[in-house]
Amino acid sequence: MRIRKPWTEWDDEINFKSLPGAMGVFEIADEDRKTIYIGKASGKSPFGLRGELFLCFADTERLEDANWTHPKMGQVLPTIKEKAKYYRYEVNHMYYSRWIEILTRFNEDHGRLPPANLEDQEDIPKLGRYHWKTQESAMED
Amino acid sequence: MVDFKITDEQQLIIDNVRRLIRDEIRPLEEELDPDAFSLPESEKDRLVGMVKDMGLYKMDVPTEYGGPGVDLVTRTLVAEELSQHRAGLYSPAYGVFGSGPPGQLYNATEEQKEKYLWPVIRGEKSSFFGLSEPSGGSDPARAIKTRGVKDGDDWVINGGKLWNSGADTADFGIVYVRTDPSKGREGVSAFIVDTDTPGFRVERLVQVLRAHYTTELSFTDMRIPKENLLGEEGGGFALANEYLSMQRIPYSATGLGVAIYAHEMATDWAKQRETFGQPLANRQAIQWMLVDNEIDIRTGRWACLAAADLAQRGEPFRFESSMAKLVSTEGAGRVVDRSMQIFGGLGMSKDLPLERWYRELRIRRIGEGPSEVQRIVMARDLLNIRSGS
Repeated sequence: MRIRKPWTEWDDEINFKSLPGAMGVFEIADEDRKTIYIGKASGKSPFGLRGELFLCFADTERLEDANWTHPKMGQVLPTIKEKAKYYRYEVNHMYYSRWIEILTRFNEDHGRLPPANLEDQEDIPKLGRYHWKTQESAMED
Repeated sequence: MVDFKITDEQQLIIDNVRRLIRDEIRPLEEELDPDAFSLPESEKDRLVGMVKDMGLYKMDVPTEYGGPGVDLVTRTLVAEELSQHRAGLYSPAYGVFGSGPPGQLYNATEEQKEKYLWPVIRGEKSSFFGLSEPSGGSDPARAIKTRGVKDGDDWVINGGKLWNSGADTADFGIVYVRTDPSKGREGVSAFIVDTDTPGFRVERLVQVLRAHYTTELSFTDMRIPKENLLGEEGGGFALANEYLSMQRIPYSATGLGVAIYAHEMATDWAKQRETFGQPLANRQAIQWMLVDNEIDIRTGRWACLAAADLAQRGEPFRFESSMAKLVSTEGAGRVVDRSMQIFGGLGMSKDLPLERWYRELRIRRIGEGPSEVQRIVMARDLLNIRSGS
């Protein structure tokens, strides 16, 4: 199943401490709340979900005075840079298989991956099939 | 009695596999996600090519089916090497050695072999194994509720399965179904089920402790042609039992490989890490942990090789196969746990593979038959008790 949480609009003034530094999965959506990217904060993510979400939404200047910054800050995927407006996340130590689960569900519902995942260099394992679509897929297309 | 001397040919195979794991797989893992279970396709293709050059691709496929036909003892020795990397317990060498078809298909009809066995050997199809259900997995003779009813030339199947790894990506599965509710184990039949059959549905991917997931399946009025019955009607349980007993041996040795690597890491660390002016290795507490690791590894190895030797000679091996599974999986869990203790805080971090193995080895005490069921199997043999049907 997909992440069962309401979308939150990104706020440039957000206190970064309100976002978890833990491992997990997240989705990014455009202004129509259509998913454009399914990501993960892995065991190698230097600042967990907090770092990955800042990477998607914030610019380098935003963290100028902070005592932390994601080493890939500024290297955002084109579709995310252009369209990202909402996010939702789930803290999950089994981030890898959960990430694949969400990608598989999306792929089955839409017959394709989210646009920013297609731009990403991240290697995605072979995705499986459910042999059925969810009701929400009709509303998203 | 088993001869534990490794032949020159076996040593050559072990050396080749060890080199590939240490020189190719481990460096690649440095770049991968700590929980990754697959390689980028380009790397996988390159390594599969190397394995084919070694003559070890799909080493469990018999020579009469075009494979290298590597014997079970050698495969057990190789399994111990294949898993000596981060993802090794559940994705030994990331699958670059390939794997043969499910053993049950060697008993299939010629038509079934043509449609399912040969495509798997050629790498065109993949399969899953559907035995356990929400009602249980350790006692399939009683727990299988999925029902198959004959209707003309078809069987109509209703029910579902749980814990089916790979069912979401497979082309077909071997599914165990109750075809006669008045009988126990003799009422269970095996069917080959194409995953694109109407009524076949993956309900969800089931998240577990390890990096990979399993699946929950449902079957609703799923019509399977009678040609897809595997073996005799009512003969499904015997097919599954034979397959599981044989599988258990290399499966057990895979767990040992991870223990060996963890033990090597802990030993090196104990020699170099100093506390209170001395290396950890000088402390008796640490020395005892390392010795206990070594005992667990050697006990597991002997149990696995003894079982493999018996099975290879065609002698009864069910007791030994269960003992190998029990001793090696529980021992490997202890080895990884002690190794984490020796590493201290670093042992808990995702910088090292230990935490991943710790999680995965916990599953190992349940998967392919829990430790308690292995003891039941052994007790039945010792006491000459026939299991209830």
